[in-house]
Amino acid sequence: MASTASLRANRYQTASTTVALSAIVLIIALIGMFTFDVSWMVDNLGFTKRVDARVPSFFARFSCLIIALGAAFICFTNTSLYKRNKLTYAPWIFLFIGTAFFLIYVIIPIFQSISYSFTKWDGLYDINGFWTGEWVGLRNYVQLLDDPNFYTSLWNNILWLVLYMLAVPAGLGIALFLNQTVGGIRIYKSLFFFPFVISQVVVGLIFAWTYNPEFGLLSEVWGFFFCEQTTNIMGNLTTTCTVDPPSILGDPKYATYGIIAAGLWPQIAYCMILYLTGLNNVSPDQIEAGRLDNAKGWKMLWHIILPQLKPATFIAVVVTVIGALRSFDMVATMTQGGPFGSTNVLAYYMFDQAVGEGVGRYGYGSAIATVLFAIMLIYISYFLWRMYQDEKEGN
Amino acid sequence: MFPAPVEKSSAGIQLTYKLALPVALFLWLLPLLAIFMTSIRPLSDINTGNVFGIPSDFAMLENYSQVFAQTDAWQYFMNTMVITLPTVAVSIALACLTGYALAVYQFRWALPMFFLFVAGNFVPFQILMLPVIDLSNKMEIYNTVPGLVMFHAAFQTGFCTLFMRNFIKALPRELIESARIEGVGEFRIFWHLVLPLVKPAVAALAVLIFTFIWNDFFWATVMLQDDARLPITVGIRSLNGEFVQQWHLISAASLLAAVPPVAMFFLMQKHFIAGLTLGATKG
Repeated sequence: MASTASLRANRYQTASTTVALSAIVLIIALIGMFTFDVSWMVDNLGFTKRVDARVPSFFARFSCLIIALGAAFICFTNTSLYKRNKLTYAPWIFLFIGTAFFLIYVIIPIFQSISYSFTKWDGLYDINGFWTGEWVGLRNYVQLLDDPNFYTSLWNNILWLVLYMLAVPAGLGIALFLNQTVGGIRIYKSLFFFPFVISQVVVGLIFAWTYNPEFGLLSEVWGFFFCEQTTNIMGNLTTTCTVDPPSILGDPKYATYGIIAAGLWPQIAYCMILYLTGLNNVSPDQIEAGRLDNAKGWKMLWHIILPQLKPATFIAVVVTVIGALRSFDMVATMTQGGPFGSTNVLAYYMFDQAVGEGVGRYGYGSAIATVLFAIMLIYISYFLWRMYQDEKEGN
Repeated sequence: MFPAPVEKSSAGIQLTYKLALPVALFLWLLPLLAIFMTSIRPLSDINTGNVFGIPSDFAMLENYSQVFAQTDAWQYFMNTMVITLPTVAVSIALACLTGYALAVYQFRWALPMFFLFVAGNFVPFQILMLPVIDLSNKMEIYNTVPGLVMFHAAFQTGFCTLFMRNFIKALPRELIESARIEGVGEFRIFWHLVLPLVKPAVAALAVLIFTFIWNDFFWATVMLQDDARLPITVGIRSLNGEFVQQWHLISAASLLAAVPPVAMFFLMQKHFIAGLTLGATKG
């Protein structure tokens, strides 16, 4: 009896030796991490260039960090404080690294960007490491209001948002078309999904080439309708067109539409796969019941199928909105904002102003990013609100 | 099943459907087919206007090997690998931990923390860009592969956590409860009981994150400056500048860049789609 009692008491006691040892390791590792310096590596290990030494010294510091984390873990889990309140502290131990990492790289930068937007800064520090910018209050935002490029970008973003939404019904259409069980249908489904797996850069290149007025696919189709090929006396083939093929990406009027059409291609594939899975989960009983009530075709789709596809629709809309507002890769590969800035979107214009060639307006760029973030925030809040409702129901 | 299965309709409709399938697929993938046709013909064909007809010479091997021989394409491929694989490993490992904490423990901050990850996952990249550059500069890893990997891993942890948390939440709670009553420590439960059970989620996430990072263009443009470190997505864009008017090579390079994610998709299709939709429909 006495031995179990002492055992139980022991279970909640601090293991002093382990704690002390791991605390020492922790302190040494932390000192190592913060004092370790690139120049030390350059001086002592014979790296010639300062840049060369950055990666190995990063790994050295990173190893120190991992040792420190391990030591901290052993140290803390051996204290009686942890042993007595396992369920209170354990989740925070699990969360610690991931959360710290996410806060440093994602959450805190959001606020930093917003604060940059009230400054005029070119991203540089002076030789003593002091910030070289100055606070200008709301001046960047006032400037935005007078910037025609900003309005073009904003307008194009709205176009993207609206037209990109076509991906949702189009995806549903293809999903309905493919939701059959004939032989080989699975291969068809995956081939239809294909465009989503390809990088947007490659999609951009494919479509830039498709739109090429000289020998692109579109001009070929165009030629079929409006052009005639004749062989002249010299035996040369000449092509005469009643209407010249349009240069879609070269014309400010059409360029944005051209890029959006290219962007729709993978996005439709994405929505299609969401709906195909959704259709798989539609309850067969309700369809049967509907059939007995003589519901057919559109009626059936509208009253019985679509309500059950609501979760799929919700996700399709969310990913499409995010895709539309993140439209950077396509613009960068297809037009780089041109011709004459007509295809700029906020995402690209921000990039161009902040780190574009010879610009470096960090403050102004951040103001544009903040506007984009504000638009996105509407959708994020809506999404979180919906999730909150689901969680409340779930518990 | 909706729409009604075609097997139940007349032979005429069945035949029409079976004919319509390949036609629709052909139209859907037409841009891709066209670029493939360009990538296997000699340059002379393109110059003489024979872009869509039968290639005068089947030059697939020449074109594709030329891409590797004349350019740094191989280097770009390797760079992408070096960026992608560590990112996948780190973000999934971290998400197992955070997802477990948020799914299993009932504490006041569980839901707010979860929403923090979900919200962060949706922010536009541009609002992170300048502070992340600044931070990497201060840590002396700007314009290095580890610098880019650190950011990618941190950002993808958001999505992975969303996914993992929902996956673990769907596991039977009694399993963990009974292990606790047995007196098994919290970390042992995680390691010996939960980790083996989340293997399908790990597979799904691995395929997805691999594709996301492989296809990343923005962050590589922003965080890497040296040509020797660029991944393939940025690389083919600079090839585009090098190969002016050499469309057969540009198209071959573009298609090559798409091969690994496409192969990944076809090999791991089940996991890929489970990943896209489970993380989604539950979220």
